[in-house]
Amino acid sequence: MLQIEIDHLNKHYGGFHALKDVNISIKQGSFVALVGPSGCGKSTLLRTLAGLEKTSSGDVRIAGRSVIGKPPRERDVAMVFQSYALYPHMDVEHNMNYSMRLKRRPKEEISERTRTAAETLGLGNLLDRLPKALSGGQRQRVAMGRAIVRNPKVFLFDEPLSNLDAALRVHMRSEIRKLHERLNATSVYVTHDQVEAMTMADHVVVMRAGVVEQQGSPLDLYDRPANRFVAGFIGSPAMNFLPATVTDNGALVLDNDSAQIRLNRDIAAGCQFWIGMRPEHLSLKPCVNDMAIDATVTGIESTGSMTFVVLEVASQPVVLAHSGRPETRRGDQLRLHISLDNLHLFDRETELAA
Amino acid sequence: MKRYVLLIIGLAMTAIYLFPLYWMYLTALKSSTEIFQYPPTFWPSDTQWNFLEVWKTREMGRYIWNSLLIATGVTILATTLGTGCAYVLSRVRNVWIEIALFAILMMQVLPSSLMVTPIFVMFNQIGLLASPRIAVILAQTAKVLPLYIVLCRATFVQVPRELEEAALVDGSSRIGAFFHIMLPLARNGILVTSVLIFLQSFGEYVYARSLIAKNELQTATVGLQTFMGPNANDWNGIMTYAAIYVTPILIVFMLLQRRIVSGLTAGALK
Repeated sequence: MLQIEIDHLNKHYGGFHALKDVNISIKQGSFVALVGPSGCGKSTLLRTLAGLEKTSSGDVRIAGRSVIGKPPRERDVAMVFQSYALYPHMDVEHNMNYSMRLKRRPKEEISERTRTAAETLGLGNLLDRLPKALSGGQRQRVAMGRAIVRNPKVFLFDEPLSNLDAALRVHMRSEIRKLHERLNATSVYVTHDQVEAMTMADHVVVMRAGVVEQQGSPLDLYDRPANRFVAGFIGSPAMNFLPATVTDNGALVLDNDSAQIRLNRDIAAGCQFWIGMRPEHLSLKPCVNDMAIDATVTGIESTGSMTFVVLEVASQPVVLAHSGRPETRRGDQLRLHISLDNLHLFDRETELAA
Repeated sequence: MKRYVLLIIGLAMTAIYLFPLYWMYLTALKSSTEIFQYPPTFWPSDTQWNFLEVWKTREMGRYIWNSLLIATGVTILATTLGTGCAYVLSRVRNVWIEIALFAILMMQVLPSSLMVTPIFVMFNQIGLLASPRIAVILAQTAKVLPLYIVLCRATFVQVPRELEEAALVDGSSRIGAFFHIMLPLARNGILVTSVLIFLQSFGEYVYARSLIAKNELQTATVGLQTFMGPNANDWNGIMTYAAIYVTPILIVFMLLQRRIVSGLTAGALK
């Protein structure tokens, strides 16, 4: 069953077109990540779902009912803000049950549900504290608690982890995901961190400049990026791109280099492409069905478990991810190998996957 | 070293600033011969305690009651009208709001003595002078409202917008969010601003003098003027009156001093 349907949605701020014909369908119980660089419209889209922004045209349906023109309180959505937006003059308990008090639920129900939510989040002994007496992680949990006590149709998260330190962020990622599964909720999660999107979501929507560039399952986006932007955005370290041109004999030749690639498909001569290669697909050893390119090592970055070798190919920087510790040094000349199956091609003009 | 120099300069300036206040209390306590003595004395030799007498003979109770009535009326009216206005001006951003803000600041510039003539003519025509204290309340509210709005708006601006949005998503209406979230968080600023305009209205002179004809309805500032005759020399009485009038205001200021300072510099709401 579809919980959220976004249908040809447009949003203008004066002359600025913030959302351009956005279409997204979100199934009940799924976890959707909206991801993209800053200013891509992902937060605007989330706020539109919450009812905090007006739409210019198009339709948004939550649980089958159009919510266009409806104020936030008639949408039954809960939102976790980036700044948490806890009410500074209310203690944790009152922060969490404000929504229920507004609905004038019976007192027992309010305290019961507040306690359950607080215990779920490990806030049981903090209920009488004011937000200013809480740490960043605790505040984040209160913001989550405020959302889950309501048991809403949809959870909206606006970069909820960006104010936490790295370790806590990784921890909270799995917490949020677990919570989502336990509540069988429908969640929409905005982030600029593609790792967060990949690890948490069932469905990732990549946006740029108000346009949905691609959407699908995380691995789908990783394996079959629709265009160069998505290919470069998803995956860390980012995909390497090398310019290449098809010669008269049907082979792909790197610009400024002699390396030739024989592709097992027909492409018209003269076509120009970007060759995309993921760092983790590059290898220093020959593999099956591979191509080889000459490269010079210009730097080595080791994280302990992984080593990123920075190379130069045809005066373009290329990064290779190697699990382990390769015996190379800066200045080494070597041959890079990559399986042809792992090559991505993008038209240089349209940037679409070829 | 530098700290001590600054401290001394600060103390000197405070002394200059507080000297008239000291002189007022001093004169209130001196006898009339000592007041004109040269060189002046800085501590009364023959202390006069005629506060009660001045209070009674000058009917200060009635004057101060009128002043309180007017100041309270102005404060209630200005906070009721001004708070909502300040909130809207802090939340909506467009050209019209900019123009409105500019107009409000401009109104702040116009002095009472300039406004009093047109106000008198208008109030006279609509018959408001029959209830002169209400007339003063209205005129004084119009005078302090711009200041109230500007100061209050600054407090609302400091409350993060997201708090209000969180309340809206939590199921509150816009009005509910205003009363549950915005008002409590802007409380300090509203309180301080209200006190400021209360004190300003408590010391109001021009409108009371011009719009109130009956002496029984006059305020304390105008009452002070009854001392003034062609050959006024009861400086002791005048200063006693002034001391009685000013001391409660000073006490209120001292009690609220911390809040006023923090209210004017507040920003750490979150």
